[in-house]
Amino acid sequence: MTSNAARDPIAGIDSRDPIIQIDDLKVWFANRDGILRAVDGLSFDLQREETLGLVGESGCGKSVTAMTMLQLIPSPPSVIAGGSIRYNGADLLQFDEKRMRTIRGNEISMIFQDPMTSLNPVLTVGEQIAETAVLHRKLDRRAARELVVEMLHKVNIPEPQRRADEYPHQFSGGMRQRAMIAAALVCNPKVLIADEPTTALDVTIQAQIIELMLDLKREFGTSIIMITHDLGVVAETCARVVVMYAGRKVEEASAGELFAAPLHPYTQGLLSATPRLETAPGTRRADRPRLTEIPGMVPTLKGALKGCCFAPRCHKATAICRESAPTIEDRGNGHIVSCFNCGSA
Amino acid sequence: MPDAPLLDVRDLKKYFPLSRKPFGERQEVRAVDGISFTLGRGETIGIVGESGCGKSTAAKAILRLIEPTAGQVLLDGVDVTALSRAQFRPYRKRVQIVFQDPYASLNPRMRAGAIIGEPLRNFGVGAAERSGRVEKLFDRVGLHRDSMRKYAHEFSGGQQQRLGIARALALEPGLIVCDEPVSALDVSIQAQIINLLIDLQKELGISYVFVAHDLAVVQHISDRVAVMYLGRLVETGDGDRLFGQPLHPYTRALLSAVPKTTSTGERRRIVLKGDVPSPISPPSGCHFHPRCPDATERCRRQAPELRDVGESYQVACWLHAA
Repeated sequence: MTSNAARDPIAGIDSRDPIIQIDDLKVWFANRDGILRAVDGLSFDLQREETLGLVGESGCGKSVTAMTMLQLIPSPPSVIAGGSIRYNGADLLQFDEKRMRTIRGNEISMIFQDPMTSLNPVLTVGEQIAETAVLHRKLDRRAARELVVEMLHKVNIPEPQRRADEYPHQFSGGMRQRAMIAAALVCNPKVLIADEPTTALDVTIQAQIIELMLDLKREFGTSIIMITHDLGVVAETCARVVVMYAGRKVEEASAGELFAAPLHPYTQGLLSATPRLETAPGTRRADRPRLTEIPGMVPTLKGALKGCCFAPRCHKATAICRESAPTIEDRGNGHIVSCFNCGSA
Repeated sequence: MPDAPLLDVRDLKKYFPLSRKPFGERQEVRAVDGISFTLGRGETIGIVGESGCGKSTAAKAILRLIEPTAGQVLLDGVDVTALSRAQFRPYRKRVQIVFQDPYASLNPRMRAGAIIGEPLRNFGVGAAERSGRVEKLFDRVGLHRDSMRKYAHEFSGGQQQRLGIARALALEPGLIVCDEPVSALDVSIQAQIINLLIDLQKELGISYVFVAHDLAVVQHISDRVAVMYLGRLVETGDGDRLFGQPLHPYTRALLSAVPKTTSTGERRRIVLKGDVPSPISPPSGCHFHPRCPDATERCRRQAPELRDVGESYQVACWLHAA
């Protein structure tokens, strides 16, 4: 790394360009049984200061995508079979480990689903938050300590001075998730990847964490990729949504449009399969429609899928769906869908 | 007793002792601290609350899978908590349970057919009759008869939960306690299981005690709902009323905290301060007062009782004490 531009990816970057551009990403896993195509030709952009939702059911490849962005999946067994992940124009997949370490936690941070297993039980919360800052910012102990207390204060942990010296098991679930958010944001990263950040939490705590993330995003101007299976969380936090199925993108639209007028049969199925909480006075359970079932199961990702990945479960599927994979089409307003039978806009 | 409700839970308590420090005071966790409700035939009551509120403990205490510390559980008017284990055995046929983690609740070394047949065998159904009934159960929950020879790990999560339901149905119970039956499943599979449970109820007239933390799922399936907080019921009654016009501040906060896909612009979310307190040393008075936006001095001192505020609708809050 000799050139200045490489050390400082911000230099010479047009601020209107997307901060992350994922193009035709393919992440495969090789095992005894053959090749498993966890992510199979995924493309999307993350704009600056945007919150983008990545939704789909278990095994659709959303977490693999996130982990690949930070090169957190060991290879083997994973193989990057193609594509690129550009961060400010530079392809992260070409970075070596040394250069990647200048990105992780510094430029791009991640928070994980389970705060107990992702915090180190034998280090104090303060030490873990400071670690990132000491590594990237070369802070001394005193300055790091001050920063830790400030961060804990920002994520609304009471008595941050005392709490910084406690261990993760002394924190409640919600506080651990706050501590993890503090650790992720301590270096003021440009991009935050939140992988199911509220799934392990109770709903009243989830509401607190969502509120906190939105506040911090406004304060720091972070771009966020929100990975979740909870459509409600997406609706409340994200401007745009990418829906994944079996390693591919099936639909992408602004959150408002996606929930009001979903085009892809899978998105439609997902929405009508989810029971909605109705809290308007006078709602009657007797009037509720039966939940729509999506028949069958998510396909195994072994080998190459012929045709549309959703065709075996799709009520609109025709012969062509089983023969060839639909291309990604823009139906206007950035509403992108990959389907032969959704009608044109 | 023909007019007794199918299930009548009266002041049910389950305290767990904590290991005692030398010369220390005896401490206990009051996981379930005096809950009461009734359930009629073919009816569903949903029990909701956050982790640690005691909803699963209550579910298991109803079946005597854990022995209640105090209180009564009446099945068809008979207090089953007073019975010896041998006397209780015939009642086991009437009350079955479906667990949260379908895989963990199926024996990995038994074939699916044997798992479903086991309750029948336990109650003396002969091999010939058993295989016929197991086949019917497989049909009933939407599993192929061919899969009877498979082991649990060869099924998907949704199919495993179907097995769990088939096993619970085997003895033709009047009541099935469902402890978070769909929370481990993906949305599209969750819908299949919820629809199956609703269909079975219509067809067989089973009652459900449906324990879950997902309020939307509970609203969808329950006739009546009971909201728990730190071992106590705070509000219980008809689901339409409870979701439409909740009275207890905790119920209101809980409902407003659920993210919705239909929310438009400004929404009034009540964000509660702090965490759920430890059930080892619950707050004085009303357990909810430290987090309650409407708490008064009285709430700190005195615990409100569950009071009637309309036809079979009860709430435990001083705001609604007539």
